[in-house]
Amino acid sequence: MRTMARLRAWLTRDVNTLLLAGALGLAAWPFIQGDPYSLRLLTLSGIYALATIGYQFVFGHAGALSLAQGTFFGLGAYVAGILSVKAGLGFELAFPAAIMAAGLLAIAVSMPVLRLGSHYFALATLGIGQVVLLVAVNWESVTGGANGIAGVSKISLFGLTVERGWPLMLLVWGLVALGALAARHFSSGLAGAKFSLMREQPMAAEAAGIDIRRLRFSAFLLSALYGGAAGALQVHTVRVVSPEVLEFPVMVMLLAIVVIGGRTNIAGAILGAVLLVHLPEWFRPLEKYYLMAYGAALLAMIVAAPWGIVGAIAMARRKWLPEQNPPLPVAVSRPPGSARERLDIEGLVRHFGGVRAVDGIDLSIAPGEAVGIIGANGSGKSTLVNLIAGAEKPDAGYIRWAGARIDALPAVRVAQSGISRTFQSLKLVDGMSVLDNVAVGDWRSEIAERTRGEAVHLLDRLGLTEFAWRLCGNLPPGLRRRVEIARALMARPAMLLLDEPAAGLTEEERKDLARMLSELNRDGATLAVVEHDLEFLSRFASRLVCLDGGRVIADGTPESVRHEPAVIAAWLGRPPGQARDV
Amino acid sequence: MELLQLVINGVALGAAYALVALGFVLVLNATGAVNFAQGDLVVAGGFMGVALVGLIPLPAILLLPLVMLTMAAIGLAVSALAYWPLRDRPPVSVFISTIALGIIIQNGLNGAFGAEPRTAPAMFGAGRFEFAGLAVGHQSLAIMVVAALLIGGIHLLLGRSQLGRMLRATAQDREVAAALGIPVGGMVALTFALAAALAGAAGLLLANQFFVSPADGGNFIVKAYIAVVIGGWGRVGGALAGAMLVALFETVVAAWFDYAVASGLLYAALLAILFVRPQGLFGETVGRRA
Repeated sequence: MRTMARLRAWLTRDVNTLLLAGALGLAAWPFIQGDPYSLRLLTLSGIYALATIGYQFVFGHAGALSLAQGTFFGLGAYVAGILSVKAGLGFELAFPAAIMAAGLLAIAVSMPVLRLGSHYFALATLGIGQVVLLVAVNWESVTGGANGIAGVSKISLFGLTVERGWPLMLLVWGLVALGALAARHFSSGLAGAKFSLMREQPMAAEAAGIDIRRLRFSAFLLSALYGGAAGALQVHTVRVVSPEVLEFPVMVMLLAIVVIGGRTNIAGAILGAVLLVHLPEWFRPLEKYYLMAYGAALLAMIVAAPWGIVGAIAMARRKWLPEQNPPLPVAVSRPPGSARERLDIEGLVRHFGGVRAVDGIDLSIAPGEAVGIIGANGSGKSTLVNLIAGAEKPDAGYIRWAGARIDALPAVRVAQSGISRTFQSLKLVDGMSVLDNVAVGDWRSEIAERTRGEAVHLLDRLGLTEFAWRLCGNLPPGLRRRVEIARALMARPAMLLLDEPAAGLTEEERKDLARMLSELNRDGATLAVVEHDLEFLSRFASRLVCLDGGRVIADGTPESVRHEPAVIAAWLGRPPGQARDV
Repeated sequence: MELLQLVINGVALGAAYALVALGFVLVLNATGAVNFAQGDLVVAGGFMGVALVGLIPLPAILLLPLVMLTMAAIGLAVSALAYWPLRDRPPVSVFISTIALGIIIQNGLNGAFGAEPRTAPAMFGAGRFEFAGLAVGHQSLAIMVVAALLIGGIHLLLGRSQLGRMLRATAQDREVAAALGIPVGGMVALTFALAAALAGAAGLLLANQFFVSPADGGNFIVKAYIAVVIGGWGRVGGALAGAMLVALFETVVAAWFDYAVASGLLYAALLAILFVRPQGLFGETVGRRA
């Protein structure tokens, strides 16, 4: 029953049914028209599909506009072509060599290029392509210069010749299927959720212990490997390798396929490739204007379906077919961790220009404590949270966690050391389900099934179960706060750092949240909660710390802090010296 | 002396590149998006000169206003087709829609004129001034003067006129500008028209000495892109300086190596700059939007 329900959910939930039908229909194409030219187009479609599936990693999942995919493709073509023609190597050696060459180029350029911001990244990747093109044109003894190398033979695999036509087409599409399965493994489920969080909320991804740089690098490298593989297949299909394969039109083709097919959907890449390879053919009757019509068709598609065919189909499906959610994974409970780590802050300072946002804070938080940090706007509360979490670096002072200094660590390492945080302005992926938004918080996760089970357990605890499949963007703020707290808890933190968790909540929601925090604390989590609302804090905090002007002006039990004259004065917005005038 | 001669040639080329880069950066600031068709609009301007002189055999200086006006109309069409329907989408959508528009322009020209390089009329006629062993072609001088006048005109328009203030307000913050009652859509369309007119002027100026063929657009857009990146994303002055640097680099380096090597070295230099200064030579003003 469960399998059936899952199958049904899979079929109705995504656009997979329609795409599957489309792919099957297209696969039947050469049976209808079995001439060599149709077979060649279908082979080329598969080659572009493979390159595009790779491109989806960097463009779709990592969200980086790389203009180097055509270069990886062209490099693969050159390496396979040269090894085949000049060294007489079989495809079993030339193919891996082409893939490796593309991978090595990606590794070589990744260090300077991957840290660049979006438009700089786009141009830098374009520049790399131009340099490779230049080498291809000028290194005549190896590449054949501007004319390239003609007469690339048929693919020879371990001495067996793969004929053009049917055998080559099947080989290519077999590799597309393999590539698609591998891509699915790397990008579906939790891996896909991590990519989404990195792409849309990079700060939140780091705070959830996701190593953005590594993830972005692996996306770039994967895209290069796929590009190299596709290029090696292309050279044996078109039989020549010339600088044309490195020029911008190839890149434009891949970009157009991914935009028109779909940015992250594998079936979309395949559909887009088949469509765009055949599109110019349909305009052949226009003779010399056929490419102009192709451009117009491209423009019309981008304007009519900005999220691609897959996006358009998904939208239509949502309209005509009711959503069928798969059953929730079985909740897996997790032993409450007992925190043993202690946080010690000494002489912490952080300026912004002339403003000393944090001006010499000393503060210690013992394991198992529930500390409320209060203060007026601009008193340094959020800066303090950012400093502890590693999102900002102090100008002076120390932060020790479990005896080791963490003030110089990047946010992702702080998160992995056991400090989880939430954000004052919520950082969730709006287009992703509540369940995945929570499950993505477990950076250790290896087994998706277990992780999602644990996420369900946390949803139960925070009263979010009924919303598990809802998209986060459609939830009211109160529930979104809880989703973010659940995500932070997924990392099994020793300390939970909450930045104004009650902001925007109704009185009722505040009470609920305070009760939940109180329970979490009883189970062993150390809490540090920044808030304005004293009423809310006093429901669970055993200690209050009041900040003013970037310093601690009171520290003690809630009762004592609330009656401290300096606190009262700061709370009324006057400097302590004038408090008596009230 | 030889170097000085190269610098003069480089400045003339840079003046034309500056017009392209200026159009690029104005659209970038107004929309947050890259107009990748800008290079093809340059080519279109060149071909418009080629076509017009066949109909009206006049020096290019007299054709210039006509070319710029027609190009401005094309710019309005670009904004209506490739930008307006996608204004609420991420900027990368506009990047791709303008690539598609570029394909249309390039292949339309290819169909109408063929792939061979063509020559547009000279501004005043052939000839050169010579002094102290340096030669400055009439065309080079005309490029410098026309570009300087156009850039100065844009500067006055943006800095001194009410329309310019509205354009700048739109570029700075579209939502606030809209809240102030500025017709933001119109301002964006006008920016596209200005950018296209500048591209057309650059095309007409360049297509005499350097020829023009339908596939040249990619070359121009990349030069403008590089100019804007090294000049600081979104900085108008930086884009002009960047265009000058790109042209000087090209001219001077191409004197020692051939042109292909020179442009390869330009990319290598660009990568080196980005490696040392990931935010461009002069820093940026627009946030990470593209």
